[in-house]
Amino acid sequence: MIKADNLKKRYGDIVALDDVSFEVDQGETFGLLGPNGAGKTTTIQVLCGLLKLDGGAVELDGKRDPSLVEVRLSLGVVPQALAIYEELSAEENLRFFGRMYGLSGRQLNERVANCLEIAGLSQRRKGRVSKYSGGMKRRLNMICSFLHEPPLLLLDEPTVGVDPQSRNLIFDTIEDMKKQGRTIIYTTHYMEEAQRLCDRVAILDHGRILDMDSVENLIVKHGGPSHIEAEFEERLSGPDKIRPFIEDKNIQFEETKIRFATSQPMESLAMLNRSGVRFRSLKVQTANLEDVFLNLTGRRLRD
Amino acid sequence: MKKLLFLAVKDVRVLLSDKGNIFWVFGFPVLFALFFGAIYAGAGKGPSGMKIAVVDEDKSEFASSYISKLESDEALQIVHLSREDATEQVRKGKVAAAVILNKGFGEGFEALFNSDDPRLEIASDPSRRMESGYLQGLLAKAQFEALGDKFIDRKWMRDQINLWRDELENANDLDAEQAELYLNFMDSFDTLLKDANEESFNLGFDGDMLNFAKMDVSREYEGPITPFQITFPQVLLWGFLMCTATFAISIVKERTNGTFDRLRIGPLGYAHILGGKGLACFLTCIFIICILFFGAKAIFKMPTGNLPLFILGLFCTILCFVGLMMFICTLGRTEQSVGAAGWAILMIMGMFGGAMMPLAFMPSWLRPFSHFSPVKWGILALEGAIWRDFRFTEMISPCLVLLAIGISAFSLGVVMLRRQEN
Repeated sequence: MIKADNLKKRYGDIVALDDVSFEVDQGETFGLLGPNGAGKTTTIQVLCGLLKLDGGAVELDGKRDPSLVEVRLSLGVVPQALAIYEELSAEENLRFFGRMYGLSGRQLNERVANCLEIAGLSQRRKGRVSKYSGGMKRRLNMICSFLHEPPLLLLDEPTVGVDPQSRNLIFDTIEDMKKQGRTIIYTTHYMEEAQRLCDRVAILDHGRILDMDSVENLIVKHGGPSHIEAEFEERLSGPDKIRPFIEDKNIQFEETKIRFATSQPMESLAMLNRSGVRFRSLKVQTANLEDVFLNLTGRRLRD
Repeated sequence: MKKLLFLAVKDVRVLLSDKGNIFWVFGFPVLFALFFGAIYAGAGKGPSGMKIAVVDEDKSEFASSYISKLESDEALQIVHLSREDATEQVRKGKVAAAVILNKGFGEGFEALFNSDDPRLEIASDPSRRMESGYLQGLLAKAQFEALGDKFIDRKWMRDQINLWRDELENANDLDAEQAELYLNFMDSFDTLLKDANEESFNLGFDGDMLNFAKMDVSREYEGPITPFQITFPQVLLWGFLMCTATFAISIVKERTNGTFDRLRIGPLGYAHILGGKGLACFLTCIFIICILFFGAKAIFKMPTGNLPLFILGLFCTILCFVGLMMFICTLGRTEQSVGAAGWAILMIMGMFGGAMMPLAFMPSWLRPFSHFSPVKWGILALEGAIWRDFRFTEMISPCLVLLAIGISAFSLGVVMLRRQEN
């Protein structure tokens, strides 16, 4: 469905994309995870034809030119910036963008009503967008791209700066789109979003893809071990009592607490339980995409 | 075409949603028309007279008659002041000059023409020499008119003749033959004053001493009938300048907030998007024209002139400014930079092109610069159609200049915009 082949893009001395390649299958949700300046937005802009490539090629639905009208009609892009007319109402925005995609009459009316419903803006449909909250504007910004029901969606950090309620609404909408079989590319620097929404994730940094796989595989490959932190009812008489049950030799003891790393947290807990200790509290910290990024780059996602 | 229209309608709606835009694009030109129309209307009634102060220190009958002659002159506005107040007002520039009638002003011909002891003083601002010279002419005219009144006062004239006779008889520097000749003339003149009947005397001496034939040039001139015909092209050009700046800024705004990219991602060509902007600017200019044109016709009864040529002039002028709009929007990447650069360019164009001050009032050395301003050509094309009675062939040159500027600016703007986008 989408094929990016050795994408290269420079802005003067800055390398924005350095041989970026990936393929996204139909119905798949593909995440581009990386910090600010990693090249996520550039990738989206290249895919939709807003930017000219210095090298490489893009293929959307078998066609190599994103400026073709049939390609653009199959594409819905949610830009990171609020690309809506704040002087108009939500309904006027939707009607205008709908008409640009050739919608009219009853079809346009139904789509506009449906989109307003999805975005939770039906009650405020006539209100001027400049009076909306940040979350409402984000929802409208997103829904304007879904109006023509494109099979291919490119979402560039659609949840930047929104309240939790709007964020959940946006997630629900994207999950609905997934269920409808749409192909989605989703960029974010929030690993929780990538973990929740994406089937596969590419870790992007300084214009290069460091690795690309399902979230689980990435964690297994690069996330490192999980960490268990346990507090017991009574002071341990001797660490040696439980040491045989734990593979990590760097186990930390402190009065009634222990902390250790393990690649198989469930098995470790079961063995610890068999040692006869009584737990007061237990905390299992599994590896996530943040750890994957840290291990791949030596930096945190939000550094 | 439908999409182009939707784009244009959206832009016009966005424009109309801002009260500030409405004022600057529609309200300001109307106010401009009213303001300058009122000024020119005042000018149409003729200049208000030169304001001068008169100080009467003579208080004679002749001085009063002289002052009333000055007061009856439309070219003068008289205020009566004391000597100190009058000179103070001249110093402050509140009056053009002060005319002081010294004691003895009304004592007769000798007093009036005695160059050793002048009885009439003029105090004027040295920076207003032209007005001072003009005033001297008016004072001389009033003086001759006052004397004319005295000529028909037979008693006063006969007293004057007696005075002159005494002087001639006592003149040591005049030989006897010459003195006899003048005395005979005085006797004959005195006989005329004494014996001529009223009717024949009045026929000979009554009437204005200096009577100029006046020709009202404006009635001969087939120029503007109402002052709004003069201001109308200027006002339209102001409206177009406002519109150009507003839409240039709106393009940058769309580029900075991402709606321009959203449109580019959609199934629209670049030409569609820019064409939509151009059409919106064009339509807004048409709205401005409609408001001003029908307003001027309904309220000020402004004659239209040659309507087809007027439409041609408008069409070319609007296309020129649509082109300029496209060029100006590429002069910066933010609303602030385009706003500042755009206004700087447009103000200079307006200033040199005659939108602020009619070209006729511009210093001659500055006028050649106006050829580089599309405002000048726009005003010329519109004036040509409204009141200069241009023929079609005379309209061709301003219209071609406007179209050339418009097409060049639009093309340059599109090229620069595409380059900036990539």
